[in-house]
Amino acid sequence: MKNILIIIMLCFVSPAFAEPDAQTLLQHADRARGGGLPGVVWDMRLLSRDGDKVAEEQRLRVSSNNEASVAEVIEPVRSKGTKLLQVEHNMWLTRPGLSKPIPVSPRQRMSGQASNGDIAATNYAGDYEGVIVSTESIDGESCYVLDLTARHKRTTYDKIRYYISVKGEVGVKAEFYSLSGKLLKTARFDYANFIEYQGRRIPFVSRMVIRDALIDAETIMEFGGAKVKKITVSEFDLGQMQ
Amino acid sequence: MLLAVLVSTAFADEGDWRTSWDGTLYGYANRQSLRSDSVLNPANQIARLAPSSTTLESRFNFKAENEALRLTLRPIVLAQKSNQTGVREAYWSQWQLRLRASEALNLAAGREVLNLGVAQFRSPSSPFYFDNGRANPMRELSGVDALKLSWNPDLQHTLMLARINASGHVAQNTWRDSWLVKLDQRGERWSAGMVVLKTAQRGAFLATQGQFSLNDAWLMYGELASSTRINSLNSLPDSTQPFTISSESARKLTGLAGLAYTLENGQSLNAEYLHDAHGYTAAEEGAYFQRAAASHQNAGLALGLAPQLLGRDFLHLVWQTNLMESSRYARLMLTHSLTDGGDELTGYGEISVSERVSAYLLAALNAGSARQEFSSLSRNSVTLGVKVALP
Repeated sequence: MKNILIIIMLCFVSPAFAEPDAQTLLQHADRARGGGLPGVVWDMRLLSRDGDKVAEEQRLRVSSNNEASVAEVIEPVRSKGTKLLQVEHNMWLTRPGLSKPIPVSPRQRMSGQASNGDIAATNYAGDYEGVIVSTESIDGESCYVLDLTARHKRTTYDKIRYYISVKGEVGVKAEFYSLSGKLLKTARFDYANFIEYQGRRIPFVSRMVIRDALIDAETIMEFGGAKVKKITVSEFDLGQMQ
Repeated sequence: MLLAVLVSTAFADEGDWRTSWDGTLYGYANRQSLRSDSVLNPANQIARLAPSSTTLESRFNFKAENEALRLTLRPIVLAQKSNQTGVREAYWSQWQLRLRASEALNLAAGREVLNLGVAQFRSPSSPFYFDNGRANPMRELSGVDALKLSWNPDLQHTLMLARINASGHVAQNTWRDSWLVKLDQRGERWSAGMVVLKTAQRGAFLATQGQFSLNDAWLMYGELASSTRINSLNSLPDSTQPFTISSESARKLTGLAGLAYTLENGQSLNAEYLHDAHGYTAAEEGAYFQRAAASHQNAGLALGLAPQLLGRDFLHLVWQTNLMESSRYARLMLTHSLTDGGDELTGYGEISVSERVSAYLLAALNAGSARQEFSSLSRNSVTLGVKVALP
């Protein structure tokens, strides 16, 4: 009788402590960084530092969904109107006065440590295969630790170690690695913003700090004015960028 | 009529109107060393080029938009003074009224720079802007007047149909009464397109272009066009025979192949090879200069009706700094004519002086004789300028 009672209790208890699904965790974390939504627009402030040298501040307006993004420069004023269009792995730069859009390599980063992929919405759930490897505490917050491996060559990074908060299911920290396992950069995230989606109020990234693993260089990205907005395909049409 | 109805409906449903404006003031001075021994422009009597000039120019952008409608205006106001003359102009470089008729369909009317392809030296696939504005690099390309219908069924495809009504601001109304169809497709690491342009009383312009990213560093691209030229100046290799003019040339091919490499620091190198069958062979080009030297009348014909490029084969090399950097930019270009052996070296540099002010320098050096394409009119040119961003 006693054994039967123990078995019955285990049936109720075990599901409550079952490990969460890595894919679901990534989807929830992506949403807090613009992914998995019909589209999202936000304003961004970029501050980059390389040692003691501080770069000029940039302000962008970004429209993004899982597959494409457009980042338009608002400041500095002399670069106003410059647009970076990203569709799949293709990128083009347009600027008032240029005779036509120019293809741009991912090696031509917009600012400091921030890659062009960091500026756009995040789609780790679609781009990476994730596995929960452990749990760890980051600044007192309990986090699942996921190892992400790129599913295809379109990704910005080959491997990521992603720390997702157990309570909030948002990404708290990320470590970006090359294919050989060399640590390239680390990033920390804050979520002081909120967006409204399907009747719910969802935390949204407010700040991302990216630091180079080898040299004393970092880029701070501050997000504001974020809102969910369906972005039509024509917004990502190169022929309509001007 | 249909566009007007749709636009008024979009206006009625005002939604959230957003307006913005910005502008740039330019001030620049140019000096060029004209050839005193020029065969095409003896004693500067034919082209009447300005050895020096100063220019003040303002370019503005105005935009008003809601969810369905967008109006953009780009006026340019210019005052230029040279040794010989003064010029004042005010014109619409571009303007557009665009209506989002549905998620996939856009209608637009206005003046637009319909430029195509990714090549830097010349754009064979671009019917309106073959030289990418290189004939006058300080001036901005202005648009052609068009009604345009764009269909984007998904991220990978775009179909565009345009009715070109006029050539815009430029004096020659070459593209009046034209129809253009353009199809673009994009893949994971590639994009490609084809265009057909039909102008009244002229053979069709057919072209294709594409680009492919091998990886983050390497990009391959190419353009190919089949076209005719109007008022084509024929130059037989036998210089004893006169120039002849064809109202429309035979159909010929123009093609470009290019390769770009981006370094880790964002600097890039481009190499392009262009073959333009509308140009002359070495013998034909030699005879061209021979005839031009014979009389002022011939020189005028040679200069006025020459093909867009005298030669047929060119190599173009470019080094430039990271395009995404906002505080400074530099670019070096070397063009070599495989037809006549001439070279042109051009350098451009820009540096920000403050948040709003930038200074820039453009210099060109044309190495060669009076009977080579790049050095036929001037030996060198330098432009120094300042630009101020508004507001």
